[in-house]
Amino acid sequence: MKNMIRNSLRTGIVFGIITVFLFLVGFTGTAANILADLLNNESAPPLFGWAPPMLNTVIFVGLIGLWAGASGASREKDVAGDPYGAAVLGGGIAGFVQGLLTGLVMALVGTLNERGVMMSKYLAELLPAAVKQAMLGFPPPGAGAFYLLFLTAAGALGGLATRGLGRGGRRPREAIRTWAREKVEVLPWVQSLRRSPAVKYAVYGILLLGILLLPLFAGQYWNYTIGTVGIYVLLGLGLNIVVGLAGLLDLGYVAFFAIGAYAMALLTAPTPHNLMWNFWLVIPIGILLAAVTGILLGAPVLRMRGDYLAIVTLGFGEIIRILSKSDDLSDFTGGPRGVPAVAGPDFFGLNVNSGIAFVYLIFLSVLLVIFVTNRLQNSRVGRAWEAMREDETVSRAMGINTLTQKLLAFAIGAAFAGLGGALFASRNQFTGPEDFNLMVSINVVAVVIVGGMGSIPGVIAGALVLKGLPEMLRQLEDYRVMVFGALLVVMMLWRPAGLIPSSRRKMEIDKDAGLAETAEEGRGK
Amino acid sequence: MPMLDIHDIHTYYGNIHALKGVSLTVEEGEIVTLIGSNGAGKTTTLRSICGLQKPRRGSILLHGEDLVAYKPHQIVEKGVAMVPEGRGIFARLTVAENLDLGAYIRRDRRGIQEDLEHVYGIFPRLKERTRQVAGTLSGGEQQMLATGRALMAQPRLLLMDEPSMGLAPLLVDAIFDVIQTINRKGTTILLVEQNALMALSIAHRGYVIQTGEIVLKDTAANLKNNETVRKAYLGIE
Repeated sequence: MKNMIRNSLRTGIVFGIITVFLFLVGFTGTAANILADLLNNESAPPLFGWAPPMLNTVIFVGLIGLWAGASGASREKDVAGDPYGAAVLGGGIAGFVQGLLTGLVMALVGTLNERGVMMSKYLAELLPAAVKQAMLGFPPPGAGAFYLLFLTAAGALGGLATRGLGRGGRRPREAIRTWAREKVEVLPWVQSLRRSPAVKYAVYGILLLGILLLPLFAGQYWNYTIGTVGIYVLLGLGLNIVVGLAGLLDLGYVAFFAIGAYAMALLTAPTPHNLMWNFWLVIPIGILLAAVTGILLGAPVLRMRGDYLAIVTLGFGEIIRILSKSDDLSDFTGGPRGVPAVAGPDFFGLNVNSGIAFVYLIFLSVLLVIFVTNRLQNSRVGRAWEAMREDETVSRAMGINTLTQKLLAFAIGAAFAGLGGALFASRNQFTGPEDFNLMVSINVVAVVIVGGMGSIPGVIAGALVLKGLPEMLRQLEDYRVMVFGALLVVMMLWRPAGLIPSSRRKMEIDKDAGLAETAEEGRGK
Repeated sequence: MPMLDIHDIHTYYGNIHALKGVSLTVEEGEIVTLIGSNGAGKTTTLRSICGLQKPRRGSILLHGEDLVAYKPHQIVEKGVAMVPEGRGIFARLTVAENLDLGAYIRRDRRGIQEDLEHVYGIFPRLKERTRQVAGTLSGGEQQMLATGRALMAQPRLLLMDEPSMGLAPLLVDAIFDVIQTINRKGTTILLVEQNALMALSIAHRGYVIQTGEIVLKDTAANLKNNETVRKAYLGIE
């Protein structure tokens, strides 16, 4: 009981702080606008005397309150005899604490606002009108009291909901899963669908068709985004070989991307060299150059392990960027201004440099790289990489030439980045040093980790989330990065092995299941 | 000519002089054991043989050819396989994949398949668990896997680093039985052990190593009765 109250208090404080924070940075207003779009109630008549903007604010705050109550209650397993009471009490306490914090801040801000203090001088979002909206037409103390009561009620309701969803106060996610297993998956038609391979292929087919048709309807802006996602898939797949399979943490991966891009730019653009080579000729050159650079860089540094390797590669990435920016080299690289008018591809005299054609070109490259990765992963080489990642010393004792294998992984990873870079420069018809800052390397590492290390579908999902989602979040304007960050945190809590983990990683996470199996077999004997 | 002839090797970890002139020989078909306490240089000797820690001085002749000049993967190709200390299995790979990696240097698919059956014959437990992740095996099963994996390389000389470490007494007996079986089938074995009694009971000859130097060498039977060995390593007064 004591524990339960302590947990609920803690949950309430956390949620209270979050609510206050969201209000102070003006997010409650933005959320209300989004809700208005979503519910399409902008011109609806007032309810309880609240016009839609105020009503939506209340709804948003209420949703947070429900969530707080659910979290506050779900921590306590069972109080003898009365599970509902405990849940309602736990949720209510969390909601009350949250409401208390929120109400106090609201009342304070509201009072200051009424006395004519310009809050927006200190916190840009607290314009008088915005504060007025948050007061919901009450005088400030009344608004505070309202939030206190409202959030307490929402919390209690949230607590109650956890009991309704799952027996014995399990977490909602587990409850839904149990429900699906017990009620849905036993249905005969669901089972026959699950077993039939035709369904699997049909789903893949529809997905593929959808992706292939997408560029035709997406429009210029979204095609640009799809292209960027595709290029990040290329980069992710390359780094996936280096990090996911061979276990070498490379934080300077952007260097190979830059080399591919500069190869394309310098060989096809009219300035600074006026070589004007053909796009198709330069693609293999860019790939090859990147691979060779991978070997040249790898040969001296791959004797290092772990963190040291990460630091050295990090430095290498910066060196390439700074060299490309250097004034001394500007006759050769175009310097800080970059290289304009990079050539696009032509196809038997037909210029296919339109946005849509280029997206298909990127799709084709992605398919090619997926094919190569897949073959490598299931080969002797792939096996050797995985052994090396697991235990370098033992893999040497197994007869694996680790230096050669590492160089190979580095070179192939670099080659994929080179291809990505060449396409990137050509697509943008420009390249410059600022395209290759540290953030690119970090983004690619994040694509691999968020997606799921060592998993091809994972990398694609990761690229979609990391490069596609920020574009979709444009609606949120200033809060884009904040929401994006929060989503990343939630995603890593929710799926620690990545969005679509490789079967190997899944096995590892489900280790307990494997152990249980062993124990059962042991008992059988 | 002995199969393995180690002559006066000096191996260092940085400035630490770990092996101070170790010499030992292993004849074809023998089980030779190297016993000693913690930090005496047992593991270092094995690491020197398979090239993971190169000696600065001395020679390691395998059939008269000096191994010091070769890299670890080349030494494996010459027929030297190791069961590493602490088993060293690839924890996230499956049992079958681990065994497959043991045969990494080999290209003869049919021979590999035959040896796989052979290993599963020696360790039926592994056959039941081919698709299980190696990290979820019990300690004894992991030791079996490490031994089986080394056999997959078709070694002529098998180096074993403390196969009894961390195992229940019953499992230790089983593992030592297997070592004898492997030896009878023609594999020469150099066995490093802290469990001196067990090691001496299956070996033909033994060496005692102390702070990087060989202090005693004799037949296993004589060592078992040696006063110093009994006191220091067998715990028998």
